[in-house]
Amino acid sequence: MLRVVCAVLLSVFGLTSFAADDPWFVLEKTAYAARELNYQGVFVYQNGKQSRSVQVTHMNSTGQEMTRNVMLDNSAQAGQPSEVYSRGNDIVIFRPQNQKMVIEKRRGQNLFPAMLPTDLQSVKASYTARIGPVERIAGREAQIIELVPNDTFRYSYKIWADTEFGLLLKMTLLDNKNQTLEQIEFNQLSMLNSQDTNWFQPKIDASKSYVMEDATAVNHVNTNWIVAELPTGYVKVDHITLNVPGKTAPVDQIIFSDGIASVSLFIEPITKGMHPKMGHMLIGSTNICANVIEGYQVTVVGEVPEATVMQIAKAVSFKKQTASNK
Amino acid sequence: MKNQLSALIDGEFVIESSEHLITSAKSGGELKSCWVNYHLIGDVMRGDAVMSQNFSNRVINALEAEPTVLLPNLAAIPSIGDGYRAATKQSGYKKFTKLWSVAASVAAVMFVGVMVLQQQLNKPVQLAPVEIALVAPVEKLAPVEIAQSVPTEYLQAHQAAAPNGNAYYIQNASYTEPKQ
Repeated sequence: MLRVVCAVLLSVFGLTSFAADDPWFVLEKTAYAARELNYQGVFVYQNGKQSRSVQVTHMNSTGQEMTRNVMLDNSAQAGQPSEVYSRGNDIVIFRPQNQKMVIEKRRGQNLFPAMLPTDLQSVKASYTARIGPVERIAGREAQIIELVPNDTFRYSYKIWADTEFGLLLKMTLLDNKNQTLEQIEFNQLSMLNSQDTNWFQPKIDASKSYVMEDATAVNHVNTNWIVAELPTGYVKVDHITLNVPGKTAPVDQIIFSDGIASVSLFIEPITKGMHPKMGHMLIGSTNICANVIEGYQVTVVGEVPEATVMQIAKAVSFKKQTASNK
Repeated sequence: MKNQLSALIDGEFVIESSEHLITSAKSGGELKSCWVNYHLIGDVMRGDAVMSQNFSNRVINALEAEPTVLLPNLAAIPSIGDGYRAATKQSGYKKFTKLWSVAASVAAVMFVGVMVLQQQLNKPVQLAPVEIALVAPVEKLAPVEIAQSVPTEYLQAHQAAAPNGNAYYIQNASYTEPKQ
């Protein structure tokens, strides 16, 4: 199987292998490797003081990706760990909550190690990639690539890519003082040789009842909200409405991304008894900015510099409908 | 028993010898909840449409609350039909009517559902302008500075919707615990 994998990789990348000193080529290979290879490993995610270990199993059988993430650290909640299954564009989460197992369905996301998009065009527009030294991560040889932002609207990334398989072994998010904000790293990794997919089914705890979490997101396309001046490189990737518990009106959520970093903009009408908020705060690597515009509470959240959330929070405006539109 | 039940649901158990499973699942208790759980998990994992929580209970309640307007018509049919019985395809008509009434009540339930849904959807749109008018002055008076209050739902929603879900692991492990 290993040979087959190598053969596939060689046939895919062999033609351009002379370009191995091109950092964008290495990143592209990394993006594809995470989606096409079969592997199992344990990685640790760290953000501020918090850290979590996760076991990941990934298989691509005949073009369909199957991934299982098992949360290994389960804090106070004994018993069954949380499990995340994804196939195609669906993510299903099983998470213990008191005497229940809550099932949550989500849209697909790029989860580690498939963090990089396969289409790097938008990333290329906002970052410069540099080849760094070679290090060892989880017993594997890794080529370091630095993604340095072209402006102050995003942080920089350091990426460790397996020199043999291309797989993303480690990734750090650094602020403009070069301090690590977030880190995600394989501690152990092995390639899978079997085609057995029996692992792709949740461990059932018969003592718990399984309940679906009520859907909170409704997809919406049209909006009258516009952000006049988005920070360079960011584009709107989605717009949804949320029913947040305890809030009477649904909240608009608009998501912007530069291909790797992302920002959410939340807009809700200020209702009676609500305390409007303004200002900025930082939680871990997440910058939050609140503003009040035309009677609406605007909140911007993202793992991006303060300047980015501030600019978006200030540039929101409501595009008035013309009189003929009622 | 649970393993057998699981195998039965997966189509890996001989149906002819599964009567004891069906009987005990029907009689309630642990095996019944297993039956429900296994089906829910199976549906979710296969990507089938999953009904929202308590869907069947809500349908039953809605049906019970439904006024039985259609029944008098049905009851009236036999008496009218008596005289024609020999000549007409009365029984066929009756069956059709029965079916039709079931379809109608299902449609009615759906209609009510859609109405409720639309009301929910419309509500904020109608409310919003009024609320703004009432509250807009607050903005000029004193916008409260952002304090230590973290909009947890927003952080969660951001992490759930972001194209790259790095912070997901922390969120899943800690933020969701205090709920309920």
